[in-house]
Amino acid sequence: MSDDNTPENGLPPERGLPPERRPPENELPPERERPPEHSSAPREASQERGEGGGRRLTGRQRLAQAVWPPRVTRAQLIVALLLFVLGLGLAIQVRSTSENSALRGARREDLVRILDELDDRTKRLEDEKRKLEGQRTELETSSDQAEEARKQTKEKEAQLGVLAGTVAAEGPGIRMTIKDRAGAADSDTLLDAVQELRAAGAEAMEVNGVRVVASTHFTDSGGGVDVDGHRIKQPYRFEVIGKPADLEPALNIPGGVVQTLKNKQATVDVTRSGKVTVDALRQAKRPDYARSSSR
Amino acid sequence: MIAVLGLVVGVVAGLVVRPVVPLAVEPYLPIAVVAALDAVFGGLRAMLDGIFDDKVFVVSFLSNVVVAALIVFLGDKLGVGAQLSTGVVVVLGIRIFSNAAAIRRHVFRA
Repeated sequence: MSDDNTPENGLPPERGLPPERRPPENELPPERERPPEHSSAPREASQERGEGGGRRLTGRQRLAQAVWPPRVTRAQLIVALLLFVLGLGLAIQVRSTSENSALRGARREDLVRILDELDDRTKRLEDEKRKLEGQRTELETSSDQAEEARKQTKEKEAQLGVLAGTVAAEGPGIRMTIKDRAGAADSDTLLDAVQELRAAGAEAMEVNGVRVVASTHFTDSGGGVDVDGHRIKQPYRFEVIGKPADLEPALNIPGGVVQTLKNKQATVDVTRSGKVTVDALRQAKRPDYARSSSR
Repeated sequence: MIAVLGLVVGVVAGLVVRPVVPLAVEPYLPIAVVAALDAVFGGLRAMLDGIFDDKVFVVSFLSNVVVAALIVFLGDKLGVGAQLSTGVVVVLGIRIFSNAAAIRRHVFRA
């Protein structure tokens, strides 16, 4: 405030100006006759100071007088009553403000605005939820599809593995044993037998622990036969999976494998079996040049 | 002394009894409290000045509260309640500060 700079401010009124130089307000009658305006704009501090000086009392002394000793006067009681009301309102307001946050005591338009905002937010969140649910459904179905594709691939792999000889196989089929002391069963004869079986629908076969697949080759070598580089000796035992009712007649047809071998003094024994196991395996060779064109 | 006791008793009563304020009065309570605070500071200053008068104090206290509440009520009716109550609080705050400055000058002589 501007009156901070007046020279009298720092001086106590007793030691202030000499009486003859005091402002005229000092000579005024006591304060009752001059109706004070408590809540009006502040007046010049020097004037007020001058009035106080007239009573030879500082503000501090007045304060001390008012506080102690306690006096029961009309003014004190009325002020106490009003201050009681003020304290009550203060406490209620502070309590209600700290208790239920901003909503209590909020104006109606504020409440409407808050409600609108909440509605908007709810709508936004609902939209987000719907979007996320859609994504979840999509992911679930796509993962189902991937699972199905994986299952089919696995099945196909097993089927192809049987054909390629990379997995063991079992099922109905026949066992054929060729005992040949005269050396009649050479590679040609064995290849004939394999071809006959294939033509009759054999799906997997092995001979003396060697898997016979599409690329299997037979070569003669002294006293035995090489199958894919594995030397095997007689007796030759074929394990063949296929329809027994087709395989056996295919071997036994007149002029067929069995008859030819029998003509050459070899003994051939063919038995049907409900469960033949072909568990000789063959390494799958990765082709050097051929690549799948399916994708 | 009794006045200070009255204030303390009022605060304690408000905290302990938890009176329920009618819904219609609720928006005006904070403004009324600030207005009353202004009147109290004015009264304190007047006391230090040696010109305190209980009648004036009562009238200024009540009129402050009523006028402040009336302004806010009017503002609510006109649709500018929030702005008007802000304005009232600013004006009352300025007055409280100036009164507090005068009180400070009396009490601390600075």
